Amino acid sequence: MSVIALDPTSPPAISPASFLGKVRNAEPGFFAFALLMLIAMAPTGFAAFADPREFQGVDIWLKPLKFEFALFVYFGTLAFFALFLPKGTTGKRWYRLFSGAVGIAAVLEIIWIGGAAALGTASHFNQTLFGAILYSFAGIGATLIASATAVYAVQIARNTVTGLSPAVKESLVTGLALTLPLTLISAGTMSQMGTHFIGGAPTDAGGVPLMGWSRDGGDLRAAHFFATHVMHFIPAFGLVSAALFGPTNRWPVRILAVAFTAFVLFLFGQALMGRPFLPLLG
Amino acid sequence: MAMNADAVFSLSNTVALAGWLVLLASPFIPRVADRIAGIAIPALLAVAYSGLVLAFWSSAQGGFDSLDNVAALFRTRELLLAGWIHYLAFDLFVGAWIVRSARQAAVPFLMVVPCLVLTFLFGPAGLLAFLAIRAARKPAAAAFAV
Repeated sequence: MSVIALDPTSPPAISPASFLGKVRNAEPGFFAFALLMLIAMAPTGFAAFADPREFQGVDIWLKPLKFEFALFVYFGTLAFFALFLPKGTTGKRWYRLFSGAVGIAAVLEIIWIGGAAALGTASHFNQTLFGAILYSFAGIGATLIASATAVYAVQIARNTVTGLSPAVKESLVTGLALTLPLTLISAGTMSQMGTHFIGGAPTDAGGVPLMGWSRDGGDLRAAHFFATHVMHFIPAFGLVSAALFGPTNRWPVRILAVAFTAFVLFLFGQALMGRPFLPLLG
Repeated sequence: MAMNADAVFSLSNTVALAGWLVLLASPFIPRVADRIAGIAIPALLAVAYSGLVLAFWSSAQGGFDSLDNVAALFRTRELLLAGWIHYLAFDLFVGAWIVRSARQAAVPFLMVVPCLVLTFLFGPAGLLAFLAIRAARKPAAAAFAV
């Protein structure tokens, strides 16, 4: 058996610069989009500083900033995960068309969310006819963006020479595979309900710090957040699991995957019942 | 968040001025000058400009299609500030270009300095001066180099 397969992960690069270089070479497109999203936070941040307007109780530019940061993390993560795609995948025509479409969809989403903020109106859940139509298209775009996790899950699962130990590889594939379905459930429900606030006041002011989730009622965004980040939580646990329970033991990862899915569905149900996230916070 | 437009105005002027001082020192630190005055500071000013337009464009009157409309646009003080930062950013960018172009066309820095001063004070006039000097010295070769 190859020694490499027993390592929890391939040995880290010697410096942050060369690590970033490896990631950039693995998926230059997603790396570039990640960088673009990060850079976009600069003018958006200045707008937040300059603009006195608020939306749902908080600075109107907070939402575009959150989405830009989220997409920066998302594309950065996928670029890193691209290190484990089968060799040659990123050069294939279908992949380049797909990943290009995903990137462009993300840019359009930010233009939509930022544009709405500039105009002082809602992006998601917009009530006007034009706004509602845009929102539907945005839903299609968001599904396309999230579908990259499913594509990566399949491709990485097929790769027999990732250099990852069985536990870590399973955590990576499982985390990626769960992202799209859980996100569709949580985000899809939000769009059908026309709001993410269930019962409480429709404002982010007084919400959970940083995230702004409702403390006096249900907020479907909590489940949506953990659903989108399952691609981070489960692989991170996989690394811990490989260290604690051994690199070939896949069961801790599977148990965690089930538990985490249950957790997301619990948050989802909790919100639908109008109960706030972590009511112990008061 | 509340912004003090006058404070941002002063800060922007100071930041731009720093860029021009770096340009004056460029014969000693050419690559540093290119990066700071040609990229970093214009980019910083551009961030401020973009943020201001994002924040205040939709609530402003006027536009670009007539002189009266431009005047209306600038009646929103934050957009006037944005306009001023637009000047600062682009004048500095052009100044840095002049320095690079002069270096390439072997125009002595002594002749570049007045162009820089002119660009600093009267933007396009400084550019015109440099283009004229460059064309006069090497009509065929350097005249149309970008």
